[in-house]
Amino acid sequence: MVSAKIESSTSNGLLIVVSQGQSRSPEKRSLEDSIATIAASLPNTTSLVVPHLYDLASDSQSVLKMREWSGPIAILSWLFDRAGFWVLDRHEIRGQHGEVQLLNLDLVNDDDDEAEDKEDEKAADRVANIAIRPSRKIYSIDMRAGSSGEVFAAEFRRILLAEQLDAPKKDLLSLDRFLNPTNSTALSMDGSGRLDGNASAPASHESPLGIVPLRMDEHPQRRWYPVIDYSRCTNCMECIDFCLFGVYGVDRGETILVEQPDNCRKGCPACSRVCPENAIMFPQHKTPAIAGAPVDAGGFKIDLSKLFGAPERDEDPAEAAARERNEQLILAGRAAVDFSPATATLEAVAPKQERKPDELDSLLDQLDALDL
Amino acid sequence: MSESLTFMMGDFAAEFPTDRLYAKNHMWAIPKDSQIVRFGFSAYAVRLLQDIYFLEFGIEEQAELKSRQEFGNIESKKAESGLYAPMTGKVVRINGQLLNDPSGINVDKYGEGWLMEMQGDASEMLSPPQYLEHLAKAWDVAQRTIKGQANTIDSNEE
Repeated sequence: MVSAKIESSTSNGLLIVVSQGQSRSPEKRSLEDSIATIAASLPNTTSLVVPHLYDLASDSQSVLKMREWSGPIAILSWLFDRAGFWVLDRHEIRGQHGEVQLLNLDLVNDDDDEAEDKEDEKAADRVANIAIRPSRKIYSIDMRAGSSGEVFAAEFRRILLAEQLDAPKKDLLSLDRFLNPTNSTALSMDGSGRLDGNASAPASHESPLGIVPLRMDEHPQRRWYPVIDYSRCTNCMECIDFCLFGVYGVDRGETILVEQPDNCRKGCPACSRVCPENAIMFPQHKTPAIAGAPVDAGGFKIDLSKLFGAPERDEDPAEAAARERNEQLILAGRAAVDFSPATATLEAVAPKQERKPDELDSLLDQLDALDL
Repeated sequence: MSESLTFMMGDFAAEFPTDRLYAKNHMWAIPKDSQIVRFGFSAYAVRLLQDIYFLEFGIEEQAELKSRQEFGNIESKKAESGLYAPMTGKVVRINGQLLNDPSGINVDKYGEGWLMEMQGDASEMLSPPQYLEHLAKAWDVAQRTIKGQANTIDSNEE
């Protein structure tokens, strides 16, 4: 049945993007495949499989494809949901936070009232409240939140309902053009580069394109760079002052941006530690607080670093940042710089984690004592 | 294969060839010519990690590292860890095979699964009997640490 009227803003339904993991984990691959297949089979959805979101270049085919989509997007990645959202934002695939109910239980934290109060005070200063993102929703889902495709299918159905896309009315023609652009049905863009959803030609129901996931055949190199959460960033410029590798810049509106991501030193998370608002994420860092987890979040895998010789680190974030920056300066053949704890930066640093020591902490203290 | 010493990690017998030295951070070390030392993961490390899926060096060859400086990451099915320099010195060679397929460590940890070669002073490396003494101290705490963290992992996978 061809539906009579299709609203342009939602005519393409929900784009479900599965961002593949970097590692060769067969479990991850199998979950990705099952999510992408289920996503393709739901009404009003298009299923797209891309390489790891974070590694994509801004002019890669995968990013260009996602940019064409003007409607809501669900992005599934092996990243914290906040990181997934802001990596997309960095690629100029922007929208408002869509509420996701499928969360990793490890990350649910029920005593952050204080943090929310603080946020309210500063709401007016946040970059995202000044540079308003488009109204379409982006639902960022951490694939670590579930272990079977069905769990994700239930979440997709909930999102489709919330977007009023639960009735079967796929506009197969514009979908077909999204999935398989050719010269004759090339994507038509409006002024802002969005897909023109006002297709009027009759749609075919036999198109298999909506049933199987579209896979982007790209193999990007691994990258390492900071990702800014503009819902936290207050444009204070601490990061641009701190980084000595020229990663940061400002746009024409004087807003901070990650201008030269590939200048960033692999493994170095130092600028994230000096950010007073915890707005800078390194999605691949093994410390959840730096990778974009909510404060107080737990890890997902056993961290053996203490057993494998990680130095004892009884330093505050500013000292850690200065040490890491110096390590990178030396690796880059440059001179280390002095760091005085009396600098203004130190005062601006909020503790990454404030919690009472637990049993594990005391175990780890014993590890330190052992001089492993 | 040369002779080896055995350390029991629970029911698992970890073997440590006596033809080489060991670093406290659970790497084996074979001194070669002119202060070059080849490093790889010991059976103890590989047993804790189990199936390795991901290995990343944050440095390139010729990088100068201080002892215990973090230089990369390793991730397995159940665990992850930073990689820490076993001694102070220059990294002269990285095993590129592992970058394509880190499971080479699981397949042949004492041979083809070597990690890197460094140039520096290896005088702090332990002899096999010294390393076993070190393991006896480390194992008890390691078990409790893993158990403490593993509880979180299990509830997460429900």
